[in-house]
Amino acid sequence: MKKILAMILALVMCLSLAACGGGDDAPPADGDDGEGDAPPASELNVGVFYYTFADAYITTVRTAMGDKLNAAGITFQDYDGANNQATQLDQINTAITNGANMLIVNIVETSSPDAAQQACDAAKNAGIPIVFFNREVANEVVNSYENCAFVGTDAPEAGHMQGEMIGDFLLANYEATDLNGDGTISYVMFKGQEGNAEAEYRTQFAVEDANLKLTEAGKPELSFYNAGNADKYLVDQAGAWSSQAATDYMTTILAEYSEANGNMVELIIANNDGMAEGAVAALQAAGYNLGNDEDGNPTSTVIPVYGVDAMDSAVQKIENGQMTGTVKQDGDGMAETIVSLVKNISDGAALMDNTSSLNVDSGVAKIRVPYAKVTA
Amino acid sequence: MSKESKALEKQAWTSQRVLDLILNNALIIIMAVAVVYIAFKNPNFIKPASLINILSQTCAYLPVALGVGGCIVLTGTDLSAGRIVGLTACLSASLLQAVDAASKMWTSITPPPVLLVLALAMVLGALIGAFNGFFVAKFKLHPFIVTLATQLIVYTALLLYVKAGNNNGMAISGLDKSYSGFITGSLPFAKIAGTPIPNYVWIAVVCTALMWFIWNKTTFGKNMFALGANEEAARVSGVNVFATTIMVFALAGAMYAVTGFIEGARVASNTANTGLNYEADAIAACVIGGVSFVGGIGKIRGIVIGVLMLRLIFVGLNMVNVPQDLIYLVKGAIILFACALDMRKYLVKK
Repeated sequence: MKKILAMILALVMCLSLAACGGGDDAPPADGDDGEGDAPPASELNVGVFYYTFADAYITTVRTAMGDKLNAAGITFQDYDGANNQATQLDQINTAITNGANMLIVNIVETSSPDAAQQACDAAKNAGIPIVFFNREVANEVVNSYENCAFVGTDAPEAGHMQGEMIGDFLLANYEATDLNGDGTISYVMFKGQEGNAEAEYRTQFAVEDANLKLTEAGKPELSFYNAGNADKYLVDQAGAWSSQAATDYMTTILAEYSEANGNMVELIIANNDGMAEGAVAALQAAGYNLGNDEDGNPTSTVIPVYGVDAMDSAVQKIENGQMTGTVKQDGDGMAETIVSLVKNISDGAALMDNTSSLNVDSGVAKIRVPYAKVTA
Repeated sequence: MSKESKALEKQAWTSQRVLDLILNNALIIIMAVAVVYIAFKNPNFIKPASLINILSQTCAYLPVALGVGGCIVLTGTDLSAGRIVGLTACLSASLLQAVDAASKMWTSITPPPVLLVLALAMVLGALIGAFNGFFVAKFKLHPFIVTLATQLIVYTALLLYVKAGNNNGMAISGLDKSYSGFITGSLPFAKIAGTPIPNYVWIAVVCTALMWFIWNKTTFGKNMFALGANEEAARVSGVNVFATTIMVFALAGAMYAVTGFIEGARVASNTANTGLNYEADAIAACVIGGVSFVGGIGKIRGIVIGVLMLRLIFVGLNMVNVPQDLIYLVKGAIILFACALDMRKYLVKK
């Protein structure tokens, strides 16, 4: 009796899951009435592998990509790698055996090319095209298979842009930013994760480029707020780029460093908007960065805070004076580019056709979606 | 007879007794030594602002530990704590977004009263907790398994929720003043040397007092300890095992929701990542504080010390510039040491 009950329960669960899955795909197709029958879009069955569903920025790419693939009438399935490379490789192999004939992969492991090479080899053996995106893979991997491409940003560029923005801002507002008037700007750097190429570049170049601008103008370089910290950054110990890590660090800093002591941190640089927002929350609790009044004048002392991603909430903070700048990662643009490659395949063209207008690396099929600076 | 002989033994072997005393309070002694050392290396550590920072960080993480403590007393655990924190943080933040927030999740909602949302979050937390408790009590499944499963289920709810409305997976922020003021603001008199004490400290204090009362002064609390110490004995003496188990987990869920509600405004940027791994620190704090996995043993006081200890590690080791790589080592060593001490007491009893 119990066994039968268990069977029925399991069955009901499977059915309801299937119903949910169907529900996801249906609405956009209905919404497309104007275009009528979208291209009977081939027998293309695309597997899309995300490094984790938990990442806010990647989720915007996921939503945009889902909409665009639906609009093009292409069958696809999303997979959550849950930040675990082993899980993701299993998913890729399963998808291939399940008849996926194109792979779009947001690889988990970026610190060595082996994982990406394995994914690429799996695609090569199955004779299907593979597009990596967002998280950088090595040139050798892309070049090892003619139907392999990478769509991403130029990882160091975000750091460079952050650095330039900071340098420009400081040169224009040096006196106001230097709260204790000692002639140097003390800063704190929040790093999202150890061993992630983008985090490393952003951490390095944001400071280097700002220093370059400062020294050119005859100003001293930025100094890390705590001379005893040889790393010159504070990292999220869970490697999750989380706002909460930044909040905890920042409240700890503010307990020790303040204007009254003449050693207040005068600049905050974060690897992403989440950490920047976390730092802002701590600053606000201490009475800083409370935003602008109706006339656009700041209502409190503002410590400049910089992030990367340009999430809506961060952009709004910049508009009302709680944050100073961020670098836009164009999630929609990235999805658009990837889907254009998918359409190439579904139209029977080569993977890298029609990309001459895009920013492509020389000698390797890597398309770069540009970053953009966002300031008030 | 046994009482007398024990008393005699204690008096007879004084060196043994001193050693016992030291071992039984080893963690507090280590903590005191560490505080003195850190304060000596970096005097800022014991300034009012720093102490209030440690206090407030402790209070933010305290309710989760108070909740999970009850599950551990029942010889169980709760791995779903972190995800429940995440879900309730996102729920609270989304309902209490300012009217003019960018990409406001539910455009039609004007922020309801803050306390109503807190109640709502606690009800949601308690429901998920009761769900955990039901499977533990009804099917005699180990809570490790049940909550291992439910944390996944709750994570799906969280992932779907952050994509709901207009939010599209973005961080939920742009909170209404009433909410951020309620959590991170401070009462006019609550200042020490000019440093305000944030309001969530009081919320945590209320939770602690409430939990102390429930654990020590109510029938339910006594039943919980009886059940944790020996389920058969408790059943025979008339404890309703089913109801007690469900209530312990539901209470735990409500406590996670309190932390979720606090974190929603304290961190003020809520994503599917919010709450990740909170259970790890909470369980560690309970173990450090002497809540035993053997069951039926634990004190609210111990849990508070455990959470405080973990925060001291985080703040203190950062202030004396211990390399980040080594912080895990210290944390791991302390957990292991605390567990070993705990089991030592148990073995002596046996």
